[in-house]
Parts: sequence; structure tokens; C-alpha cells
Amino acid sequence: MARPRTQKVFSDLWGNPQRSLLVLASIVVGLFAIGVVGTIYVIGPQDMRVSYAATNPANLTVLATPFDRCLVNHIEEMPGVRQAEGARTFSTRLESEPGKWIAIDMKALKDPGQMEINQVRLVEGVWPPGEREIVVDQYRLEDTNAQIGDLLTLELPSGKTRQLKLVGVVQDLSIGANGDPGGFFNSPVLGYITQDSLEWLEQPLPKQYNQLFVTLEGDTENPATLEAAAQAVREEVKHCDVEIISMVQRSSTEHPNLYLVQAILAVLVVIGLLVSFLSGFLIANTLQAIMNQQMQQIGILKTVGARRLQIAGIYLLLSLMFGVLAYLVALPLSLLVGFQIVDYLTVQINYVFYGPRVVLPVVVLLAVIAVLMPQLSALLPVRQGTRISVQEALSGYSQSHPPERGWLDHQISRLRNYSLLLVVSLRNTFRRKGRLLLTLVTLTLGGAVFIATFNVRISLVQYVDQIIQYFLADVNITLDRSYHIEEIEEKIEEVPGISMVEGWMFARTELIMDDGSIGESVSLLAPPASSPLIEPILVDGRWIQPGDRNAIALSELFLEKFPDLDVGDTIRLRVNGKETDWVVVGFFQMGGKVSGYSAYTSYEYLSELVHQTGRAMGYRVVSQQTDMTLEQQNALGKAIETHLGQSGIQVIDISTGKSLTQKASDGFTILTAILLFLALLTAMVGSIGLAGTMSLNVMERTREIGILRAIGATDLSLMRMVLVEGALIGIISWLMASAAAFPISEIMSDSITLALFGSPANFAFTPTGFIVWLVIVLILAVLASVLPARSATRLTIREVLSYE
Amino acid sequence: MLAENPSSQQKLHLLPPDRCRDEALIEMRDIVKTFKTPDAEFTALKGVTACFFKGEFVSIVGKSGSGKSTLANMLTGIDHPTSGSVRVENTHIHKLSENEMSRWRGKNLGIVFQFFQLMPILTLLENVMLPMAFCNNCGAVEREKRAMMLLDLVGLANMADKLPAAVSGGQQQSAAIARALANDPPILIADEPTGNLDSRSADEVFDIFTNLVEEGKTILMVTHDPGLAQRTHRTLLLSDGELINPWVAQALPDLSHSHMLWLTHRLKAQTLPAGVSLPAPALFLVTAGNLEINNHHSDNGFGKIAVRPGQASGGALHRLNGNSQPGWQVSTGSPVEILTLDDTDLQSWLENDSAVSHSLAKDILLPGVKVIDVAGQEHAAAGDNFQEESR
Repeated sequence: MARPRTQKVFSDLWGNPQRSLLVLASIVVGLFAIGVVGTIYVIGPQDMRVSYAATNPANLTVLATPFDRCLVNHIEEMPGVRQAEGARTFSTRLESEPGKWIAIDMKALKDPGQMEINQVRLVEGVWPPGEREIVVDQYRLEDTNAQIGDLLTLELPSGKTRQLKLVGVVQDLSIGANGDPGGFFNSPVLGYITQDSLEWLEQPLPKQYNQLFVTLEGDTENPATLEAAAQAVREEVKHCDVEIISMVQRSSTEHPNLYLVQAILAVLVVIGLLVSFLSGFLIANTLQAIMNQQMQQIGILKTVGARRLQIAGIYLLLSLMFGVLAYLVALPLSLLVGFQIVDYLTVQINYVFYGPRVVLPVVVLLAVIAVLMPQLSALLPVRQGTRISVQEALSGYSQSHPPERGWLDHQISRLRNYSLLLVVSLRNTFRRKGRLLLTLVTLTLGGAVFIATFNVRISLVQYVDQIIQYFLADVNITLDRSYHIEEIEEKIEEVPGISMVEGWMFARTELIMDDGSIGESVSLLAPPASSPLIEPILVDGRWIQPGDRNAIALSELFLEKFPDLDVGDTIRLRVNGKETDWVVVGFFQMGGKVSGYSAYTSYEYLSELVHQTGRAMGYRVVSQQTDMTLEQQNALGKAIETHLGQSGIQVIDISTGKSLTQKASDGFTILTAILLFLALLTAMVGSIGLAGTMSLNVMERTREIGILRAIGATDLSLMRMVLVEGALIGIISWLMASAAAFPISEIMSDSITLALFGSPANFAFTPTGFIVWLVIVLILAVLASVLPARSATRLTIREVLSYE
Repeated sequence: MLAENPSSQQKLHLLPPDRCRDEALIEMRDIVKTFKTPDAEFTALKGVTACFFKGEFVSIVGKSGSGKSTLANMLTGIDHPTSGSVRVENTHIHKLSENEMSRWRGKNLGIVFQFFQLMPILTLLENVMLPMAFCNNCGAVEREKRAMMLLDLVGLANMADKLPAAVSGGQQQSAAIARALANDPPILIADEPTGNLDSRSADEVFDIFTNLVEEGKTILMVTHDPGLAQRTHRTLLLSDGELINPWVAQALPDLSHSHMLWLTHRLKAQTLPAGVSLPAPALFLVTAGNLEINNHHSDNGFGKIAVRPGQASGGALHRLNGNSQPGWQVSTGSPVEILTLDDTDLQSWLENDSAVSHSLAKDILLPGVKVIDVAGQEHAAAGDNFQEESR
């Protein structure tokens, strides 16, 4: 038979299931949050690194003018080089629906089955593709509207089409590793074919490559190793009379989307800690209530000889048992949910999840917290509860503090002629100020984070919408080659509804460092100097002006990488193989890391530099109709393409202004989904807090409820009183949460955008979060009040008054 | 049929059931209340029948566990009988749902609890206003006025804005009484209203009750204090869930409750016509009329005495001092109603329980009976005083 003290602990544990459930829920929610966050924190980056490394990723990715196998062999024989492979990449268009063409990047390999570098993982079907067959990466498969066995129609340079059979779906973890702006999230459909299919697809020089992949020996995590190898390879390629268009260095474990995961994890950790912190509040609140309920028992224990420490030991053992039970519930649940989230992210962030496993750090961490958190939370209530005198404990009256009516009580009294029942509700709301404060803290913080999630989403969307400032045209066209601008302008203006056409230039350049080494790849865009189709967001300096010669405006990412770079400085770029100096006139904000290293100069100067004056491949078209919808822009684009096609002018890419920002926004779906999950978690904490408080309030007032019924209160009037109390707490917390949401939104927005884009966002808010939280908190308040009030009113008065 | 006992102000009811039904404000009939516990069933009330009339101040007395609070709960509707019926005016309250009961109670009943049961978060004034708010009686301003008037009635007008915890127990109980009167109910039920008070506060509270009765209220008060019970119009004595015959309680107050209950079960009613003389029953209680008891063998020094309603005597009671004295006679001048116990029952009762003799000897009217206490001292029985008067 258990010792009486232990027996008491068990009785307290099982004797009041509702109360015990409340304590357990309070602990479980905190442990759950830590467990989920911990699982993602450990497993996510780990599997990202391991799965990326397993593909034998390229340490150097070189885009160059066409070269043959000879160069590949040459590079492979270099000291420090482990492997080298060549590939032919080109962009074309794919017919996703009749009449609708989308961009597709093609990668042709001599023998895909023997691919050693940037290996792909077969998801469905067969690999490698045969001649005149195609395999597609899973990420954008949905855009093709095709499945295995279907024929995909590709556009050829001549304008004709050819169909390839879709035979497989793969996962290519190297998407985004080549440093293209927007990376993985902005990537088009990616298709894999054999080199033997190139001639059939009318690609020139079918036997030649234009992309080189190199893996290195030694410590590839060391930037110095990469830099040294990059220089050596560059020299060698130059030696072979091949021109490098761009070169990207990357370690073997640095997944291209790691930056996004780091941003997510930063938020996760903060919110996970916040939830645990709030959980601690909840536990303290509930344990305080337990101590209050146990006051008489404590008095009796003292009368039979129990000392304070012995009594404290009983309640600390009780809280320990709560912790253990909560651990047994929270651990498997959090691992399960954590694994689900990690699995969900595999497609969204492009890595492989290696399956559920024992996550020892999480197991240990949760165990420590499960033991410590309830104990720490219980310390103060237990201390206060065991200090009470026997007389106070048994009588329930405190002799030390005679009751006084404060200012608030007097104000509330003024309402008694309006509604005495409202007075009762108000007084009950503020009756236990400590408990009310704890409840308000949890509800307020939970609500503030919930509301902030909506504001953060808007901030992200608005930040991404900045990109639209640089693409104010309704339709953006890329032709197969340079044409006279006047010719194309004239042709396009024949399409009804056109207001303006501009020819733009684009060049892929490389930054030349002070020591002559090759640095970052820079996308250089050149609109006409006075173009109205771009409204830059300047962070320093000025924009390109008419008359500028070698002026250049750089994206804010340069400031992160080169903090000493300033307006007025000169940088050197290699443009079309030629090194030229440029004067920095300003820095602009355009999506930070997502947009990569980009720069703007005037069309007039760049076209002259590359001997293409008056000619352009890229065109920006503005409609006469303002505020076109996406569908209207698509229709206009199609009309232009058809018209140009009729004139023998081939369009190789066409995109609408709105689709660009939509694509970028889609990339944040994952982030906002996770934010929403965490917001719901914090809201859950707040909800448990409110439910717990109302439950305890009603439980403690069961006797008063009996008295009220004895003097004439009906079930309805009792329900109303409790409902008003719950609603009051909800509304007060909503007001506080709304106020707190502003600074919290700003902190969260800045943290995320700094992690993602390298610069803080402009604060934005939306009323949606406020309204949704108000509805949620009121519903919660009703449920949290009605349910315990119902069970109290169901008791007979005799039961609650405990006569005889 | 109502009899007055000159030794107290109390009136004793023994009305036929139909008159109870017709005239009573409150009628309880065959009330049984059984509680089910995990181990067994416990019957707290075993078929209690009682009625209460308008303007009465009735005390319900009994030891702890006798069922008096359970009886009060039946009257207030706080609990429902397992069987039986409770009628208050024209309402069978045992048939009402909890909600209906709350509504009815707010308007028709005022309850005063032992532990006051004021709302701790409301001032005394607000506590008194609360029942009016539930019943939607009068406007808000009038409620406050009436509440102040009630507090003034109980002497607490200057404490109206204080919280219950800031005033004494007696003041809290007075406020609770004011709350009970909030909707001007005709009936007040008080369950041990002075149980938690000092004697001075208890007296003050009792005075309030007395005043209310004089104003026409009907008050039923559960109490364990026989002194307070004596000051009410009538006392119902409960023992082990049953009502003790009030005549037994009146005539033989020194018996224990269990003995009174035993006697209640065994006494038989009998009516003696006027002008008869017959052997005295072994033990009898007069409930109406007067008779005399005497012993024909007058040379032994015994005389005769009158036995009035609410008094006990008996021809076999000489056995109390170990003598057997035959020849006791009763004679009537007018019709007399008595409750009798036969000789066999009396004999076995006296033999089985020695304490009975001692208690009976204190209360019965019989000349020449002496009581010998544990120290061996002789005391005259109650009848000896009367013997002197009758001579």
C-alpha cells in the first residue's frame, strides 16, 4: 500500500480530472512547441545538408561560350579537381495548354545515366531519358499539366514545335545553385534530355557544352579553397579560348535554399521559446488555483504535524508527476508533427527527408524541460500556499489583509442601478487580479503573435511587391535575337490597345575584384535612362539619368557583401568578355537576396558598349488600359506574340507584370504557412489560458453559484454572468494584443526580411488579423465560460452547498 | 385541535389530515429522502408529515444527523424528496424543475443560511439588491431604496457599502436576513441561523425573526439550540429522520430523543368520556381535557392530582421506585383525549433501559414517587409539587 503522502498525490492527480487535464494541457502545449521546433531545427538543416551532399553537388558552376569535351577532360586533370562534367543548357517554351506557352530550361547531358555531379533523385517513371524523351523536375511539374507518358510540346528556334515523351520525374536539389535571381522559387520548369536530342530540337552546335560543373578535393567548406580553385579553373578556361559568362562557387553542403530555412528557424526558435514561456505562466496560474483549493487540506496537514517542507514536497511531487505525464504525451506528438512538417517542406524547399528517427537532443531537452518547467512554475504558488497559517487555512479568512474597496470597485458600483448582474460579472473578472494578469499576459502575447503573423505576411508581400516597381510594364518580351528597336516598336504598336513600347538590354556580367580575381555574377539591366517603366526604391545615391555614361546603380545586396562600397566609388565589371569601369551612382532595394546581385545602367551606354546601338532583345510593353488584371495581361501578351510571329519574329519568353510578383509571393507560402502554424500554437496557449482561468473561476465559485440559485438565479442568468466575465477578459486581452501587435509585427517582419532579403521591411499591417483574432477570442471566451458554467448549473444546490 | 400548555407559550398541533391540507400554508406529506453512497443507502427522512400555518414561528430541532437540515432542504427546494410531496400554498414544489424552482424561490421564499453565504464581492447593499435583480422586481432605483430600507430594518444602514468580510458575523447574518426579505416573501426558512454566532448576536438575530413574525411572516427555523426553540411558537423534534410526537416531547422532555421516538411509535390514542372512573393506564399523556389520578387505598398516604394536556402520568409508574402499588384510578369530569402505553410495553421498556426510569421519574405526575440518584440521594418526583397544590 502506498504511503499516505504518495496516496494523496495520486488522489490529487486523479481526483479532479478537469483540473488535472488543464494543468497537463498547459505543460503539454509548451513541450509540444519546443519539441516541434526542436525537431525541425535538428532534422531540417541536417537532412538538407546530407541530401544535398549526397547529390555530389558542383563546387563550381560555370556558364560559358560553347566548348567541347576536351575542355572538360582538361579541367578534370587539374590538381585539386575531383570531377568535371559538361552540360548543354538552353531555354525555350513548352505548351502547357493549347495556346499557352510557359518557359522551360533544358539541360542536355551526353549520358544522363552516368551523371556524377548534381545527381538527381528519381521520383517517378524512368531515368535517364532516351533520345527524344524528356524527364522533368518535380517542383514545376504541375505547371506542365502533364503526367508520365504524355507528350510535351516544345517550341524550336525556327518557330516549329516538337514533342517529347515525358518518361520520368526527378528531384534536382541543385536548382538555384547557379545563382540565378530568385533561385529555386523563381525557376521555370526544368527538363532533362540527352545530348542526342539537341539536333532534333534545332539547337546549334549539338555536340558542344555551355555549362561546366566541377567538384573539388580538399576542404570545400573553406571559401579560400573554392576561391583558389575558381581562379585556377578560370585561367584554364580562358587559356582554352572559352569565354566565361558567369561562375558560381558553393560548398558541398550549402543547400541553395538554406537561407530560407535559416529564416524560418530563426522565427521558429523565437516563437517556440515564447510559447514555452507562456506555458510556464499557464502552469503557475493553474497551480496557484490548485493551492487555493487545497488550502483547507494544508491546514489539516499542519494540524497533524506536517512541516512546511514536507507539505511543499507533496505538491512539488504532484507537479513533477504532471511534468512526467505531459512529457509522455508531448514527446511523441511533437516528434510526429515535427516530422510531418519536415516532410511537407521537402518539396517546398527541395531536399530529401530521411524519415522519422530518434532525435536525441529533442528527447533529452523535453525531458529536462518537463521536469524543470512545472517545478519552477510551482515554486512560488507552493511557497505561498505552504506559508499560510493553520487558522487562515481552515477558516479561509486572512487576518493580515482586511478587504478594501479600491477605485475600480467604486467605479464598478456605479453600474449597479443599470445592471447588478453586470456588476457581479465585472467584480468577478477583477476578483483575482494575479490570475487575471497571468491570463491576460498569455492571451495578449498569443493574440499579438497571431495578429502579427497576418501583418508579417502583408509586409512580405509588400516587400516582394517592390519588385513590381522595376517591372511596371504590362508585358515583358524576350525575342530570339536582337532586333532594331524601331522595327519591333512599330510591329507591337499595331496590336490594338498598346500605349508604349521600350527596348531594354540585358547582360550577364562578372564583378572584377581589386586583386583582379573574378567575383560575383551580376545581372545588368539597361532600360532607357528616362524610362517611366521603372520606379526604383533608392536606399542611397541617385538613379540613372539621361546623359550618364558609365553610371551604375547597384542592388542593396552589394552593401551586405561589400560594406565599404559607397556612392561615387568605381567598380569593374566584365561585360561580354570585356572589362569596364563603372561609377556607382546609387543603391536600390529590390528583394534583397532573392533578386541576387543586380544592377542598372542606361540602355544608351550599354548598347554602345556592346555595339548594339538601336537594337534590343528585350521589350517592355504598356497597355492603354490601366490596372490590368493578370488575365488581361496574359491576353495582351498572347496577342503580341501572335502578331510578331506572323511577321516572322520569334518570341522566346513572354511574361506579364503581375505574374512576376505572384511567382515571388508564392515562394513565401511556406514561410507564411509555418508562421500561421505557430500563430495557431500561440493562440492555443492563449486559449488554454482563458479556458483554464474561466474553468477555475467557475469551479471556485461553485458554492456561490449554488447560493445565487438559492436566491432566485435561473440557469440563463448564471450563464449570462459567466459569459460576460469571459467576454470581458477576451475583449481586454484583444485590446492589449492589438496594441502589442504593432511592435511585435515590426520585430518579426524585420527579423524575417533581414534573414531572407538582407534588409528590413517597411512596416505594414492589415485589419484582417485583428478581426480574425477578435472573433476567435470571443468564441473562445464563450466556450471557455459556457462549458464550466453548464456543469456547475447542473449540480443540485444541495451538492454545491454540501449540506450535512 | 389546539391545546395550550401553561408552562410554555408553545401551541401543539394535532390536526386531522384534511384540515392540514385545507388550512396549512405549507404541507409536507410522507416525505422520504434516501441518499445513495458508494457503500450503502442512507435514509435521512423516513416518512415525515408536517404542516405549517401562516404567521407561525416554528423551530425544527434535532441532534446532528437527525435530518433537520434535510427537512429544511425539502422545504426550500434545495433538495428533492425521494418520495412524498411538498406543497407551499398552491405550488407542489417537489414537481418543479431546478430552473422553475429558482424562479419560484426568488419570489416566494427567503433563505437564511448558517454560514451567511453572502456574495463576497458585493457590498451588503448590493447583496440585498441581488434577489430583486434576479426576479426583476421594481426598477433599479427603487431596488436600492428598498435594500437600504431592509438594511435599516436590521440595523445595518451605515454598513451598506461595506464588503461582507469587513463586518462581523452577526452583521453578516443580519444582512443575510435583509437579503432574504428582498422580494418580500411570505416565508422565511432559516437553517441554523445562529449556529455560527456568539450568544449576543444570536439574540439580536432572533429578535429580528420575532419582529418579522409579528409582522405576519411565517418563519421555519432549524436549530440545535433548545433554548431558542423554546421561544418559538412550536417545535418539531426530529430524531433519526422521524418526527417525535410533540405531546411526548412536551410531557416527557427529560427522555432522550431515541426514547421519545420509541414512545411515539408505541403510544395509542384513546378518548375517555366524561364522568368515568377507571383503572389508570400504565402510562398515559393527556392531549385534551383534564383528568385526575388517584389511589383508592388512601390510607397509604397517596392523594389525587389533576393531569392536564401536555402532562404525563400512569398507574404502573410506582415501579420507578421499586414498588408495585396497584389501585390507581383516573376519573374524568369532561371528555379527555389521551395517548396510552400498555403495561407490557412499559414493563419491557423499563427493564431494558435503566436510564428510562430516571428520566420518566423527573417528568411524570404521580404522588409519592421518589427518584434515587447515583449518589443514593432521594428526590421527590415532579408530581409531589402538584400533590401539595391539590391538597
